[in-house]
Amino acid sequence: MNKITIANRNNTIFEVKGTKPLLLELRSQGLDLPYGCQYGGCITCAAKLIHGEVDQRSQVALNNRQINDGYVVLCVARAKTDCTFEIGVESHDKLYRNPFIDPLSPHELKSNIAILKDKINESP
Amino acid sequence: MDGSCCGPGYASPSEAVKAPQEKLLYSIAIYTGTGIQKPDYLATIDVDPQSSNYSKVIHRLEMPGIGDELHHMGWNACSSCHGDEKMSRKYLLVPGVRSNNIYVVDTASNPIAPCLHKIVDGAEIKTKTNLSGPHTVHCLGTEIIISFLGDAKGEAPGGYLHLNKDFEIVGRWENSMGDIPFSYDFWYQPRHNVMVSSEWAAPNTFMPGFDLEEVGHLKYGRRLHIWDFEKKKPIETMYLGEDGLIPLEVKFMHDPNSSHGFCGAALSANVIHFWKSSQDKWEWEKIIDVDNEPHPDWPIPIPGVMSALLVSMDDKYLYINNWLHGDMRQYNISDPHNPVLTGQVWMGGLLGKAPIVNGVKVTGGPQMYQLSLDGKRMYVTTSLFSTWDNQFYPEIRTKGGVMFMIDCDVENGGMQINKDFVVDFGKEPNGPSRCHESRYPGGDCTSDIWL
Ligand code: FES
Repeated sequence: MNKITIANRNNTIFEVKGTKPLLLELRSQGLDLPYGCQYGGCITCAAKLIHGEVDQRSQVALNNRQINDGYVVLCVARAKTDCTFEIGVESHDKLYRNPFIDPLSPHELKSNIAILKDKINESP
Repeated sequence: MDGSCCGPGYASPSEAVKAPQEKLLYSIAIYTGTGIQKPDYLATIDVDPQSSNYSKVIHRLEMPGIGDELHHMGWNACSSCHGDEKMSRKYLLVPGVRSNNIYVVDTASNPIAPCLHKIVDGAEIKTKTNLSGPHTVHCLGTEIIISFLGDAKGEAPGGYLHLNKDFEIVGRWENSMGDIPFSYDFWYQPRHNVMVSSEWAAPNTFMPGFDLEEVGHLKYGRRLHIWDFEKKKPIETMYLGEDGLIPLEVKFMHDPNSSHGFCGAALSANVIHFWKSSQDKWEWEKIIDVDNEPHPDWPIPIPGVMSALLVSMDDKYLYINNWLHGDMRQYNISDPHNPVLTGQVWMGGLLGKAPIVNGVKVTGGPQMYQLSLDGKRMYVTTSLFSTWDNQFYPEIRTKGGVMFMIDCDVENGGMQINKDFVVDFGKEPNGPSRCHESRYPGGDCTSDIWL
């Protein structure tokens, strides 16, 4: 069992098995969470991971900048350790950015098209 | 009841223009992606100037759960089955882009308070047809087809769901997607045995928001596709290149004999005109090019983002929006090769030309619009898609969307924002929601197609 602390809900703690995605586990225990596609493709369910580790390998919605900023899509993420999250739109301060004013570097794109830093630096 | 003869709709576009003035309109409003944990809903808006509730939301039909992101919708029947007395324009099909559910709403039993008739389950659609990300709904006689932007995993190109008149899944409509990379909108013109489809992106690309770099990585569309409508397969591609980045809405002229149609390329902010030449060849040209506009905070000039486009029922005027600039435009297209700008109004947008309209601070810009059959009243809303709104107009979270009405001069051309009409979705009972597409019970300028 892992302890999931929701920092912006008075540090409420939920215990999860880690066998199902966090969205399912937490909603079944009564936590009201946003969601949309429920397969990791749309970021409606994004939350910010403050501490801990999750497995969200099957997500396809987040770009690498969002992942580096701690975002997790709860509909596919499973807890690997105890975790602390901020949930809901209050946690979305860095999730959305104007793409013209604040462009992504090649390594910050979604993982299927990102060019990793060491690759860029490699001379051809 | 919108026809004189037997079935739904009107015998011809010129009959439709003479229809009685609309008294109600239905508009979807979303909470998905706004932070408010409430279902999206279908709002009924009173648009009868004689009514004491004029310009107010008078009913809200909530969907059964949260997270749908209602977006576009369409009727179960239109003028394409005008001759079929067994059909009537009774049901509005309302897809949820994120949930994949299709809600069938009965608007006829009580037009003011529509009710849910049936849900075509999103999971069942995925299992039976491998489709997700529903968008445009058109009826084809007694059948219904809906474009989907992705497969069950949200990858392009998606395809077309075929429903029968009882809203049962028949399967995939198309026989082949050919080498089409992306789907989005479509319109058909049966007398020319043609359908034209456009390209947005895969659901997994556009749903999370817009990363400009993904355009360069060819994750967004730049083509139009010509279909053999009877054979249900694509036969020709028009590669629009830089002139046609993200080609979204496609409309043919309403005259069923016309082969002329238009598409708005959102990111290029161009109107593409296409038509069949005298040699039976499909041709295209760029007829409108909206310049990008400088902005002190932006490193590059702002593109218009022409996210929608509409042709008046008499085929005389073309309407376009520039969501990031904040203007709506009217062009006379009597000569479709040479459109003439005849009207322009401003509401919201990033250029600061009309931050407050009819007493409401506008966050967002003109985005979706519907035109009355007589062409005189255009209802405009300001939200595009929850994640994209959040990127470009973050204040929309607390301000919500808004609906305005534009009075359109059909004789001499010209547009003016009506001073008496405003529906502020920022003041909805459950908190600020965002309104998007609208339809009228009696048919409108984006529903009806003639066989
Ligand atoms: S609900 Fe769509 S990514 Fe989680």
